[in-house]
Amino acid sequence: MSALSRLGRRPSVRPAQIVSAVGLETAVGVTAVVLFALVALAAPLLAPYDPHAFSGKPLERPSPAHPLGTNDAGQDILSELIYGTRISLAVGLGAALGTVALGLLVGAIAGYAGGPLDALLMRLVDVMLTLPRLPLLILLAAFLGSGLAQTMAIISLLFWPVTARVIRAQVQSQRQRGYVKMARNFGAGPAYVLRRHILPAIAPLIAFGLVTAAGRAVAMEAGLAFLGLGDPTAKSWGLMMRFALNLPGLLLTDRWLWWLLPPGLLITLLVLALTYLGMGLEERLQPSLRRR
Amino acid sequence: MKARIVAYLLTLWVILTLNFLLPRLLPGDPLSALLDPESSDYVFEAEVRASLETYYGLDRPLVAQYGAYLKGAVTGDLGRSIRLNQPVGELIVAHLPWTLLLTGTALTLASLLGLLGGSQAAWRRGSAVDRLVTAASVVAGNAPVYFVGMMLLILFGAELGWLPLAGGRTPFAQYNSPQAAIADIGTHLIMPALTLTLSLLGIQFLLVRNNMVGILGEDFMLVARAKGLRQARLKWNHALRNALLPFVAHLAAHAALAITGAVFVETLFQYPGMGRLIFEAVGARDYPVIQGVFLVVAIVVLTANLLADCLNARLDPRLAEEVGQ
Repeated sequence: MSALSRLGRRPSVRPAQIVSAVGLETAVGVTAVVLFALVALAAPLLAPYDPHAFSGKPLERPSPAHPLGTNDAGQDILSELIYGTRISLAVGLGAALGTVALGLLVGAIAGYAGGPLDALLMRLVDVMLTLPRLPLLILLAAFLGSGLAQTMAIISLLFWPVTARVIRAQVQSQRQRGYVKMARNFGAGPAYVLRRHILPAIAPLIAFGLVTAAGRAVAMEAGLAFLGLGDPTAKSWGLMMRFALNLPGLLLTDRWLWWLLPPGLLITLLVLALTYLGMGLEERLQPSLRRR
Repeated sequence: MKARIVAYLLTLWVILTLNFLLPRLLPGDPLSALLDPESSDYVFEAEVRASLETYYGLDRPLVAQYGAYLKGAVTGDLGRSIRLNQPVGELIVAHLPWTLLLTGTALTLASLLGLLGGSQAAWRRGSAVDRLVTAASVVAGNAPVYFVGMMLLILFGAELGWLPLAGGRTPFAQYNSPQAAIADIGTHLIMPALTLTLSLLGIQFLLVRNNMVGILGEDFMLVARAKGLRQARLKWNHALRNALLPFVAHLAAHAALAITGAVFVETLFQYPGMGRLIFEAVGARDYPVIQGVFLVVAIVVLTANLLADCLNARLDPRLAEEVGQ
């Protein structure tokens, strides 16, 4: 439908046209993710204070000086929120890259090699997929210690099998195609075939994998920080919620309104933006998913 | 089925071994730190330290430690909690029922509502109600479960004051009758269970709806319609029966999701289940408890997987290996 409607239009690009071409979900998702990224990049310009600085009295109510008040240590909540964007996006991006890199490696090897190596790797994937992820995540975080790098590594280590399975299926089907067989008969090595023929075919899957992995990672990082398993020095949204909820009687005053709600809302918005982006990509990958 | 059981036993062995090796192989040697007077994690009570020494047996060869660990796991000896100086097995027995109550309630409610709502929405796909509920399900299913819980906590707990803010029952309550006990535990269950239900419902609703939309377009539905069957029969006998298969196939994954959600929900509502137990253990570096909870939760999830597989084979004759069973 989008291709047809594009044909009859003038060449100038209007927002509505972009939306109809890529789908509403993708458009909303991309816009929101770009906005979050801009906030993260411009954090020093946007934030009124250094989030670690004790810029006010503890537990101040919102005022012109502190639009969202201060936390129990006297730090500006708005600045914490703005800088928190950096942590969520960095962990999301890092963990997504790690997850997809591992999944791509295992999936491509299994799908390309076939035979016993494939069977072995896929059995490993099966076992990994059956393991309960969050308890394992907690176990790893408890023993590995908490830092942003550890959080990214743990999330990547636990979520790669999902990507590996999808990539393997696609690599396997590509390998059977005539042109790939031909290239191999002409003496092309695995590295050449993978890069030249198979990578372009799995590129959309990689994009989809990255977006979904990023969404999961953002939610997981916030969740770990919320549980007290994140980096205690990184002012992430999850940690903000944890500190807010640790204040006795928080819910008995209206303090939750500017301390607890905003970080929760931002995590949810970022996760949902990535979800919508993933749904849009998925629809493009599998046209059969289009709304009937 | 035999191959599946072998796969489950293999997974169980991986879980047991991971649980044994992780703390011993990871950098920093967290277990030795508990017994090292120089370390900040040093356990001061001599009695607890002695029980840790015998349980972990760090001075013995690794294989002997592994043997002792496996034997302990089979006989239910999971070591002693450092924080509470109580056997881990006892702690788990006290906390597991709460988690099973919470996840069981949520999973049952979400499954029923997901099946009914999902098929109803597919039946009326494209209608305003369908679009609204589908959009809401995307939000409920993907928003972090602790955020959903926080909203309910603020609304029903703090602002309206209808429901208790925390806990699994009123502290120090003496119940005069079983009804009073059920009422008290029930009121405390509402918010945590509702949170988990909403989160699971979002996912299950979308799964059922999307499958059902596919099924409604199948040829056999056209034939059934052409035969002049009544709507109810079409909907419940022909369509829902087939939509049930992918639903049951995903049930184990949803059970695992429920457990993941329960960790957050229990932490948020201070609900006395396994999630709360592991959360408190993490704060106190109580490694035997962390490991014990991990092991038990892993086995619960694994059992759920096996049960769902059996159920699925029963529902879908194509999956059962034995013909005629």
